[in-house]
Amino acid sequence: MASGRQLFCRIITPERMVYDGEAEMVKVRIADGDIGVMADHQPIVSTVGIRDVQVVKEGDEREVFAVSDGFFKVSENLVQILVEEAVAASDIDSDAAENDVEEADRELSELSGDDEETQRLREELERRRLIGENMALVARRYGE
Amino acid sequence: MASIRDLKRQINSVRNQSRVFSALQTVSAVKFRKAEARVKKARPYADNVEEMMREVAAKTTSKTPMMVGRGEVNRVAIASLTSDRGLCGGFNSQVLRRTMRLREEKGRDALQVASGRKSVSFFRFRGVEIADEFTGHTDTPNYEDAREIGRKLTQLFEDEEADEVYLVFNRFESALTQRPVVKKLLPIADDDDGDDENNDRERDDENKSDVPFEFVNSAEEILGKLVPRYVETMVWQALLEGSTGEHGARMTAMQSATDNANELADTLTLQMNKARQAQITQELLEIVGGTEALASN
Repeated sequence: MASGRQLFCRIITPERMVYDGEAEMVKVRIADGDIGVMADHQPIVSTVGIRDVQVVKEGDEREVFAVSDGFFKVSENLVQILVEEAVAASDIDSDAAENDVEEADRELSELSGDDEETQRLREELERRRLIGENMALVARRYGE
Repeated sequence: MASIRDLKRQINSVRNQSRVFSALQTVSAVKFRKAEARVKKARPYADNVEEMMREVAAKTTSKTPMMVGRGEVNRVAIASLTSDRGLCGGFNSQVLRRTMRLREEKGRDALQVASGRKSVSFFRFRGVEIADEFTGHTDTPNYEDAREIGRKLTQLFEDEEADEVYLVFNRFESALTQRPVVKKLLPIADDDDGDDENNDRERDDENKSDVPFEFVNSAEEILGKLVPRYVETMVWQALLEGSTGEHGARMTAMQSATDNANELADTLTLQMNKARQAQITQELLEIVGGTEALASN
């Protein structure tokens, strides 16, 4: 890196720190599209979408994580990604992920009515479905 | 005086109890260590969500009710976190006592949310109406549980059922001490009504958060998503600390129960020995008396 300064990345979930280490670049989908953060990036705060986060390390080696929605912050060469769920591509249980999708689908089809409570439940299930789909996708694309 | 047989029976039963207490203590000790590790691992997330909350809030001019409140407080909501199971000393009662005091201060029509079977049964017994209850998770809480509770609380605020939301839980200090604290969750901007000391820390690093962040798309939009997440996170942290405290309290309670049972068994053994001694002496006296009577004939 020209700047000579090192970028660090942390992916943090409510349960634990999933990634904590150096990075050349971090690719994330934030509120207005994909972003690739390198050292000396300007401070920024945004939201993260249900997608993958790629941590590119020296020598183009990369680690990919499937994440749920959450928050994103860059300041002083530290990228912080705060999400409810983050799983390394190689650790994803695709069967479980696909099961989640099917289950969410089934429950969604059983939902009827559009009162507030049902609406909330529907949103929640759709989110679960998206997370499951994303997990399966990331596993297919980057797992192994 | 109790007969030797009765005493023997009592001693056996006390010793058995002592064994049960001691086993419970061992189990609690293991659970306690696990729970403590979880709290530590979870801290970075909670700290960062809190920090982000402050940074974004400082840069926004939005005066949403979530941030600045509604001006007038008609009714508050209180969520009390206790355990599902007992046998943990004063762990639950101190949270519940604190809750009742808060209810006195904030008006008795306060909406009560109960987490943990102990609080549910307490409020039922006291005739406090429960707005919503959550049970079965306090031993090893999952984030999903915190989400459910957090959502309910945010919802109560959004639907204008409550104008302030408080959380009462046991802050974990050590296996020996858990301190009941009140934390004000909503609205965010606060005049510190709670008695949670963590607020001091916030002031310390306020100067450092002066970096001009760019907000994508806007601070308001981020805030809208961040506030519910913040509430969930605070509940999550409280649930984790609560479960650690619960196991710690049970460990301590079972330790003293074991000690007490052992002490009682010792006392009873002493009594039994005395009784046996007395019986032997009695028998000897009878024999001696008998032989003397025979001899004098």
